[in-house]
Amino acid sequence: MQDVPVYNANPTVFAPSKPSKSSLLSAHSLWWDEELDVKAESEDEEIKPDEIFDLIRSITDPEHPLTLEQLAVVSSPQVAVSGNFVNVEFTPTVPHCGMSAIIGLSIRVRLLRSLPNRFKVDVRVKPGSHNSENSVNKQLNDKERVAAALENDSLIDVVEKCLSTAGRRGQTP
Amino acid sequence: MESTQRLVQTWMGSGRDAEIDQIVTGFSGGQTSLLNIVQALGEYLTSEEDVLRTKGVQLLGTVIRRCPPDKINRQATRVLLTFFTSKLDDTETIIPALNALVSLTTLPNFISADATETMNALFKHVNMKAHVQSTRHHVFAIVDSLMARHRDALKNMGDSFLRGYITLADGEKDPRNLLLAFSIARVIAIEFDITNHVDSLFDITFCYFPITFRPPPDDPYGITAEDLKQSLRLCLSATPLIGRMAVIQFLEKLTAGNPVTKRDTLETLSICLPVYGPGVAQEFSRKLWNLLKLEILQPTDPDTEQKALDTTQVLINTIYSSEVADTGESYDVEGLAKEICEECLEVLREPEKSQAKPAIKVLGALAGTRPSVSRYTLSQAIPYLTNLFKSLDELLNRPQVLLLLGDLLEIVYKLPTSPRKDGEPEGTLLLSPFKDDILGVLLAGLKATETVGPALLGLKKLSQMKGLLEDDEFTIVVRNINDVLQSDADDEDTGEVVLDALVTISSIAPKHIEEGTLPLLFLSLPDRTPARDAHTERAKIWRTLSSLTKLCIPPSLFETLVVRLSTKLELICAPRNQTDIVDVEAASAYAHSILKALATTLDVKITSKHVDVAKYIDRLLPRLYHLFFYVASVYEPSHMVTANHRVLEVAGQIITLVVQVNPIERQQVFAKALEAAYHSGDPKALSQGIQEIPMDVKFQPFGIPSQRDLTALYSAAVIAFHNGVTTFGDPTDPQGLTKVVLDDEYTPFQRDSACSSMAALLNKHLDGQPETFLSQRKIFWDTEIADVKQPFNRRRNALEGWVWITKALVIRSHPFVEWMVNSLFEIFDDENLAWDAAKAVGRVASGEDGILTKRNHAVIRILHAQKYVIAVLPKVIDGLKSSTPPRQTVYRIALISLITSVPKQTYIGQMETLMSHLLRGLDVPDMDMRTDLINALLAIAESMEQREPITTHASSIIAAMLRSCKFSEQPTSPALRIAALRYLGILPHVVRYEVLHPHKSIVIRELGKVLDDPKRDVRKEAVDARTSWYICSPPIKETL
Repeated sequence: MQDVPVYNANPTVFAPSKPSKSSLLSAHSLWWDEELDVKAESEDEEIKPDEIFDLIRSITDPEHPLTLEQLAVVSSPQVAVSGNFVNVEFTPTVPHCGMSAIIGLSIRVRLLRSLPNRFKVDVRVKPGSHNSENSVNKQLNDKERVAAALENDSLIDVVEKCLSTAGRRGQTP
Repeated sequence: MESTQRLVQTWMGSGRDAEIDQIVTGFSGGQTSLLNIVQALGEYLTSEEDVLRTKGVQLLGTVIRRCPPDKINRQATRVLLTFFTSKLDDTETIIPALNALVSLTTLPNFISADATETMNALFKHVNMKAHVQSTRHHVFAIVDSLMARHRDALKNMGDSFLRGYITLADGEKDPRNLLLAFSIARVIAIEFDITNHVDSLFDITFCYFPITFRPPPDDPYGITAEDLKQSLRLCLSATPLIGRMAVIQFLEKLTAGNPVTKRDTLETLSICLPVYGPGVAQEFSRKLWNLLKLEILQPTDPDTEQKALDTTQVLINTIYSSEVADTGESYDVEGLAKEICEECLEVLREPEKSQAKPAIKVLGALAGTRPSVSRYTLSQAIPYLTNLFKSLDELLNRPQVLLLLGDLLEIVYKLPTSPRKDGEPEGTLLLSPFKDDILGVLLAGLKATETVGPALLGLKKLSQMKGLLEDDEFTIVVRNINDVLQSDADDEDTGEVVLDALVTISSIAPKHIEEGTLPLLFLSLPDRTPARDAHTERAKIWRTLSSLTKLCIPPSLFETLVVRLSTKLELICAPRNQTDIVDVEAASAYAHSILKALATTLDVKITSKHVDVAKYIDRLLPRLYHLFFYVASVYEPSHMVTANHRVLEVAGQIITLVVQVNPIERQQVFAKALEAAYHSGDPKALSQGIQEIPMDVKFQPFGIPSQRDLTALYSAAVIAFHNGVTTFGDPTDPQGLTKVVLDDEYTPFQRDSACSSMAALLNKHLDGQPETFLSQRKIFWDTEIADVKQPFNRRRNALEGWVWITKALVIRSHPFVEWMVNSLFEIFDDENLAWDAAKAVGRVASGEDGILTKRNHAVIRILHAQKYVIAVLPKVIDGLKSSTPPRQTVYRIALISLITSVPKQTYIGQMETLMSHLLRGLDVPDMDMRTDLINALLAIAESMEQREPITTHASSIIAAMLRSCKFSEQPTSPALRIAALRYLGILPHVVRYEVLHPHKSIVIRELGKVLDDPKRDVRKEAVDARTSWYICSPPIKETL
């Protein structure tokens, strides 16, 4: 570990927002503690930004044992859905962060695996938050380059490690 | 003599144990002597042939080992020693000679002088490097044995022993030998004068650190890396003389090691430092801290971080161990503790950064060391944090500052309490000088939305600190928290934290909650039902009620709760003017929530065995019955709030809970009143209330249709009676309940409650007249169920009753069960009832159902489900095999019903046979049954038992689950899809990768479609299941 440069040894930590509630809890029931019927096929629930945010909020930062949400690298308002387009923006903790591509790749892989393939997903760094914004964005949104990156075993190991906590969805373990 | 000669000769040829046994027996019995044996061996011991010499020495050694130790006298010992040591210089005899010496050294006649001689012989003749592990093991065993028995002799050998042994032990690699070598080295380091050999002793021990040994698979010796680690640690921590050298090495391992080595080094350091002493610790303090700091402030994993914190504590404790007795006055320390403290405060200047939390952990670790250091640390850290909070520049970071303060309080709270002269725990004493300051900051924190959460956490910790807060301080704290409670904060999270803090205080200082908080909460419950669309108000009511259920556990608080809530209930259900009730359903829901709060609290209290529950049979139940009776007698049906089934159900729960904890005698009196009310038309016998029940209204809950729902409150009491309580009527057909069960003029609600009380009574009173019971059931079966001429509804109702009766018997493993269940199989051909009967086969074994419980004094035999399954499962399986559809489907339903009703332990052993039948069961049309079945299979998979059947059927399981998890294919429900997805998600953990490999790409592709399910909860499971398949990969080959 010692020979890897540390880009931000002491990043700011933010309090995470609460985990989003299950859709099964209805807000307007007349009865207390009403058990909602999971068996019923009531109305459809569309995929909304907070559901996508849930997918990526608990990804671990490659440099710290903290989640992307705790470091405010991703946040709920930075996810947008319109029709079949998903736009995810993330903010590196420091503008020279060499880990941005790994973070972006982790987000992309997570969404690749978790969203229906009808969606076209764009993963970008927040404008003005990184020194080499364009090149990182290009890397992350070029299908060929993403595919090539995923052929690299050591790279995929790092990504898998970041993703190993993604299933927590904002819950503390 | 001759026989010995013969035996020796035979053994030389055969090598069998039998001959040796005979020689040993002869020797022990005095028929032969050692001299005889040696003479008999004579030619072999001096033979030119190598093999014969080896065998000769081996035989003698074996005889020595097996014969009783006291049979070998001093002289013989002496002779044998000389003999065996002389055999050490012969390469052919050295191995058996060493082996023999191991036993020889244990003999009672082996004296100290012999020990010296043995050692000298070893030093002279044994070249360890030339021998295999087992031979070297003999050498270590000899030294170990001498170390145990003749330590002084070895000590007297002085340098020659140390030099010799170090040469012997140098370069040993085998773990079995090392375990011995480490323990020998520890004794040497502690007890021997090693001044001249410190370096070499260090070399032959430290070279093994860190232990990287990994036992080979199926290691017969069972030595683990942990054994070696522990043993080496004992060795390294044996003497302060190696301290300097060791710490230098440790520092190196900490700098360059991998996480495993680092953790090992940290643990070892923690053990060694106290032995090495303050001198060494002081000398390397800075260097050690610099490395420890890295592991704590930029942690790679929590485990290493914790170990680094532990080591820091040990370091500080060691450095300051030499300080003069603590006066308890000074707030200053010098040296490393001060430096560390200053560094941490420096980090805390940016409380929002990631290192601030670890810095608090370091400060907490310091607080857990020596008293002078603790006092100094807290006197620095707490004012620093409170000032940070007050500083205007840090307004934005206030929440973080409070969180850090809370973390520190938590650590101080958890400090091990050492007995103090005044009996106060350490944490309290440490914090009391800063109490006002902390309290001030936390109370200020309550005033702002951003800081209220962390402030409450802090206050909770402060309250927990025994003896820290005074009475009037509690008053202030509670008053301030009450303000938060009342400020209409819609934030549910804050609500929970507020409650958490209050619950903590209520267990420490209940008076303050009773006087300060409860009145406010009761006040916020309206006397009239809020309108149907007043969602916010209703949510607030629920929050208040749920707060009350958590707060009102202590007896005095509970009493207040009962009084206040029953009054509230009467206002809502029976207002002076019944037209005040505008929306009867909304009012029922409100009443239900109040009753629910009472029931929940009662349940918690009973679980914690509170004795005050019993008295509410006089204080709460009569009021409750009165309310229901009064409303039923006086009100128009359109205004009967209490007629709602859910209200009745939860009121029933309260009745059951209170009745069940009362003793037989009290229950008997209650039973009398119950009968009088329900069967003799005298409601006043049971109820008590201000509003008079009019005399002219007839009260016959079992007769008058409009009153029939009230029978639920009758059953609720009956099911909780002890079996010693006598009830009226024929116990095999209690209270004529059969009529209610059968007759279609009763509603399902009424039938259900009749069934449950019938089952409870039968379960407890069956012992009386089994013969009558049996004949009556036979008639019942033949006329009500088996007779196809009866109307379908009546037959179905009768079957339902049958299920409940059987249930009551199954749970006590009654012999009639077999006959009753066999009857069910008889109607598997019945056009109308077959499926109900099949489901009944499982339902009867579903256990307590909240009615036939231990708490309700039901007669329950252990393993009743087991016995039932053993009796019934083979019949179902036979039926499945021997029948054809549609009858086969009926058996399949029975199987699924059975499997999903009983605990998995009862059938898990038979999964091999069951699996294929159950998989076919995944195609039954009933969605709920499929869901239950998958959940049952899931529970088996999660238990990680019986994985073989899952592996065998993996491909059909995968196919079936993929079919069940998709929205568009055969009709599914969200619950079914979720169950199937969970099962798919767990498969990679249960089944070997190579079995799943052929399916991996298909499963991932198919699950990709489920990611677009219309339900969010289903999508979530799909994501998790898919992830689990993505990351499943062949196990990494272990490289040694």
